[in-house]
Amino acid sequence: MLELNAVSRSFGGLMAVNDVGFSVQAGEIFGLIGPNGAGKTTLFNLITGLTPVSCGDIRFDGHNILGLPPHRIATAGMARTFQNIRLFATMSVLDNVRVPMQAFTRAGLLAGLFGLPASRSQEREMLEKSMALLELVGLADKAGDPAGSLPYGARRKLEIARALALKPKLLLLDEPAAGMNLAEKGELSGFIRDIKQRFDLTVLIIEHHVPLVMGLCDRLAVLNFGRLICVGRPEEVRKDQCVIEAYLGASHAAS
Amino acid sequence: MSAFFDQYGFLMVAIVQQALLGMSLWYPLMAGQLSLASIGFYSLGGYIAAIMGTNPWFAPWREALGPAIYPLQWLIALIVSALIGLAVGIPALRLRGIYLALATIAFVQVLNVLVLITDVTGGAVGLFGIPQPFVSRLGYIWFFGPLLVLALIFSARLTRTVAGRSFMAIRDDELAAQAMGISTTFEKVRAFVIGCALAGVTGAMSAPFLNTWNARQSSFDASVACLAYVLIGGARSIWGPLLGAALLVALPEVLRPLKDARLIMNGVVLVVACIYLPQGLAGLLASLRRPGKEAGHA
Ligand SMILES: Nc1ncnc2c1ncn2[C@@H]1O[C@H](COP(=O)(O)OP(=O)(O)OP(=O)(O)O)[C@@H](O)[C@H]1O
Ligand SMILES: [Mg+2]
Repeated sequence: MLELNAVSRSFGGLMAVNDVGFSVQAGEIFGLIGPNGAGKTTLFNLITGLTPVSCGDIRFDGHNILGLPPHRIATAGMARTFQNIRLFATMSVLDNVRVPMQAFTRAGLLAGLFGLPASRSQEREMLEKSMALLELVGLADKAGDPAGSLPYGARRKLEIARALALKPKLLLLDEPAAGMNLAEKGELSGFIRDIKQRFDLTVLIIEHHVPLVMGLCDRLAVLNFGRLICVGRPEEVRKDQCVIEAYLGASHAAS
Repeated sequence: MSAFFDQYGFLMVAIVQQALLGMSLWYPLMAGQLSLASIGFYSLGGYIAAIMGTNPWFAPWREALGPAIYPLQWLIALIVSALIGLAVGIPALRLRGIYLALATIAFVQVLNVLVLITDVTGGAVGLFGIPQPFVSRLGYIWFFGPLLVLALIFSARLTRTVAGRSFMAIRDDELAAQAMGISTTFEKVRAFVIGCALAGVTGAMSAPFLNTWNARQSSFDASVACLAYVLIGGARSIWGPLLGAALLVALPEVLRPLKDARLIMNGVVLVVACIYLPQGLAGLLASLRRPGKEAGHA
């Protein structure tokens, strides 16, 4: 599904991602963990094309996606959420979910302006699908509100709904539990499994919350200072000496 | 009554005309792009109409077409402006924020210089005696009025179409818009070209209205004024450019009794509006209509 080969990215002198290679199988829930500043978000940006890679090779669904513009990668079946929530804040909750669907519409500007049948049926279809997605994340009753007015946890859910609206094969979640309350965190694992089944997804997830990651993921990759230090099943990763030193040890000391 | 129209007719038409120029900046702003190119396309459209109206080469056209030459001028201005807008927009819209604004200012300056050294535009003197279809200034409301109504309907529809939502998504968060499958370059160019086309047609209608046309039509001051209409009126509402133009065009007239102090008053109103009305006049009206909702915002 996704293959990374010797992927690197430097910012000035800093190697934010350094010679990283792993592959994610179709249908997997694959975790990406590591201490703060390890390069996890940067790696997401490289995969989704928002940041160009310095060197290396990324293949998605059998195709080389290096150098493709981000919107092409998105419509090829890759959707993401952002660590620091990037909704379309002044637009309605409904429009936030509708915007990604527009990438697959065909009726043009004039059809829309004159309300031609092609555009009307297309709008009706998008409305139905959007409402179904909002229903799924429990935001249907907020459809008309500006997205920026939602509480934090709801914004995270809306970002997931917006990503699903792209009909992705691969869903990338950047710290979806951050800022959620305990109850919401508790529901998150089940929710991710549920949407994975329902939409036939492969999931790549960055998460600091260790119990969540260990319980949810089929496999994990651990980054430290931009380098990949371990890939494996959760119980293997948990026992790995490098990981204990670099990550679990560090978080243990911090807490 | 007729004295009233003599005095205020020009003012009313000028408000609508200036509102159209504000509107032409409103479209790129809807996609989050700060452009000051409109006045250049206004000038271009004006020259197209002025040349078609005065140049001997077009005499057979004028004879054959009669008043139908005016819609033809608008159409040609629209097409030429859209094409040049496309050519300018594709490279310029790689720039962001203030750099895009600077690039569009530079474009207008280049255009002005070209006009000054070209014969067919009348050089520094410009073009005179552009034929006028109406006897009174107020008559031109039949040009600008319908165009403004069309532009308003267009804008209102746009916010409910695929293209309009893409524009707003880019305005809210360009990076997220890309990640959600929007070709941001394509949409930004589209919003820009719509604005250019509207400015061009407004210019083509303005040449007969003002009777003469020259490079002073596209001064930097005029550019800034167009932007002020949108910002003072409100960039988030389709009514913003009209409200802004109404205030800014009428204000100097209303303040005339204050003599010299009116310039100060004019400035004070602008500064106050900028500071206290982040959503412009349209935002103020909206918050008055549903009190409380906006409370605590200012
Ligand atoms: N655009 C950028 N320009 C310069 N440096 C950057 C940029 N983006 C990230 N970095 C740097 O790259 C390193 C990795 O950052 P990144 O955000 O990928 O870490 P992360 O693993 O996501 O951390 P966190 O857990 O805090 O989210 C950091 O040192 C960061 O300062
Ligand atoms: Mg991060």
